[in-house]
Amino acid sequence: MIPGRRQRFFLVSADAKKVVFFQELWPEQEVEWTIFQRGPMAVEQVFNAPPDLLLVDAELPQLSGTALVNMVKSENVYRQLPAVLCLGPEQLTAEMDFAGVEVDDFLLYPLSPVEARARLTLAVHRASRELDANPLTKLPGNTSIIHRIQDLIDRQEPFALAYVDLDHFKSFNDKYGFSRGDEVLMMSARVIVNIIRGFPGKLSFVGHVGGDDFVFILPADVMETACQRIVESFDGIVPHFYDQEDRDRGFILSTDRKGHMQQFPMMTISIAVLFNTDGRLRHFGEASQIAMNLKKKAKAQPGSCYVLDRRQ
Amino acid sequence: MSEDLRTERKGMLLAVKDLPTLPRVLEQVAKLLEDPLSSTEQVAKLISRDQVLSAKVLKMVNSPVYGFPGRISTIQHGLVLLGYNVIKGLIISTSVFELMTTSMSGLWEHSVGCAMACGVIAREAGFKEPEEYAVAGLLHDLGKVIVSLQLPEAKEEVEQAVAEGDLFYLEAEKKVLGFGHDRVNSWVADHWNLPLNLKVGISGHHRPVSAQHYPKMACVVHVGDFLTRVLEIGSGGEDHVPALDPQALELLGLDLSRLDIVLDAMVAEMEDDGLSMGLG
Repeated sequence: MIPGRRQRFFLVSADAKKVVFFQELWPEQEVEWTIFQRGPMAVEQVFNAPPDLLLVDAELPQLSGTALVNMVKSENVYRQLPAVLCLGPEQLTAEMDFAGVEVDDFLLYPLSPVEARARLTLAVHRASRELDANPLTKLPGNTSIIHRIQDLIDRQEPFALAYVDLDHFKSFNDKYGFSRGDEVLMMSARVIVNIIRGFPGKLSFVGHVGGDDFVFILPADVMETACQRIVESFDGIVPHFYDQEDRDRGFILSTDRKGHMQQFPMMTISIAVLFNTDGRLRHFGEASQIAMNLKKKAKAQPGSCYVLDRRQ
Repeated sequence: MSEDLRTERKGMLLAVKDLPTLPRVLEQVAKLLEDPLSSTEQVAKLISRDQVLSAKVLKMVNSPVYGFPGRISTIQHGLVLLGYNVIKGLIISTSVFELMTTSMSGLWEHSVGCAMACGVIAREAGFKEPEEYAVAGLLHDLGKVIVSLQLPEAKEEVEQAVAEGDLFYLEAEKKVLGFGHDRVNSWVADHWNLPLNLKVGISGHHRPVSAQHYPKMACVVHVGDFLTRVLEIGSGGEDHVPALDPQALELLGLDLSRLDIVLDAMVAEMEDDGLSMGLG
């Protein structure tokens, strides 16, 4: 099923045959099933200790399967939990309202064990991908970023790690509004992704921490070239995201944190790079600590720039 | 013409799915994309020599999918934002003109020449990012290509009217179609979310001074179109050279002596780069 730890799946069904069918899909040491015969019995457990997957029989005597799924999925903290609805052929009709039912997938019972295994495994993987992706740029988010960096550290593989952020993004957002800010983030993501892709290899990785913070990983020897290209492309493109007037003027007028009208320069990009070439890093936390200090240095310089940490 | 007919024709023109391009350019771009040592600048330069590929790049990078419609007006930026992977897909999905009529190939050279002229004029006038003006010059006759693809019979009628009636191409279009290629350009620009400055450049070059926004863009393309015709680079579909609007020159702050400098620079650039894209 899924390599690594044993998975916890919940099944809500009053049908003994279905229970046996699903329980026999995987050996016990791979998947631990918890069976609930009624919806209400599952709710509290799902809320307290969400499983890796929630499989719900559409036909339940109390609290219908769809109502149960909606109850769980409407809470933002449980949205990532993959919920699969088990339908009978007579229940799958054209009237099925998938816009109103927040399930991630459905199974049409009866089905073959092979298909059931494949569909449920896929649901788990898909959820882990979607959970972490940044909703705007769809780039991998924090969990994937930390995982990737820690993994490289554990394997003592040399790599260079870059933390990117935009300068004066906040004042741009304040003046032009969030949707114009999102345009800039989408553009920045595209610039970084395409330039990193120009250096193919298993080390290349781009993540979106959130807001105007991005991260990317490359082999140490190409890192500086990548930074140069990102700075150059960003500086060339970003003026087009301002109104003509501001672009000609070269700055924007916006209110500062205290509410005073102030001039803000055009957005620039700052990149802080650290190298793990001799296996000096032990933990992800160290990497982010060093990066934060470097970032301060990068941000102190006017204009777009990158700072390389050469302490080795 | 009736409103219905106009709407119907507009619909047919905007439905254009696949703008075919020259086999030669397509091959060269495809080759460059496969070469790991090629640079974005090289690819951009090559694509900038083809109005259809350029239009496709700009259409795609300005589509809402990417999240910043109407912002990008140069091929170089388009390439950085789309990436090689997407560009490759775009190249694969572009078909070629099996049959290139003389009028079509003349239009190709005229467009590339006009792009060059616009870049030189913008530089001479001291404008920021002359590249954007060159793109507008390249695409200023895109409407003619779309008409010939989507309404081939109308295109023949237009050409006939030009030959027989001693009309300018734009006049003939208006007579036959009820609207000119400048109008088609404006429709396409909206439909594809192209930036406003490009829209003005490609739809306002026949009435440059009256453009509400970015009149300088329209004026540069107007003058560029004129110079390309004076130098007889390719063909815009007619033998006459339409009049140069003196106000356009004034708005650009160019007098005749500086126009001379522009012409010299154009000739030099043509000799440097050559306009032989396998056409001539």
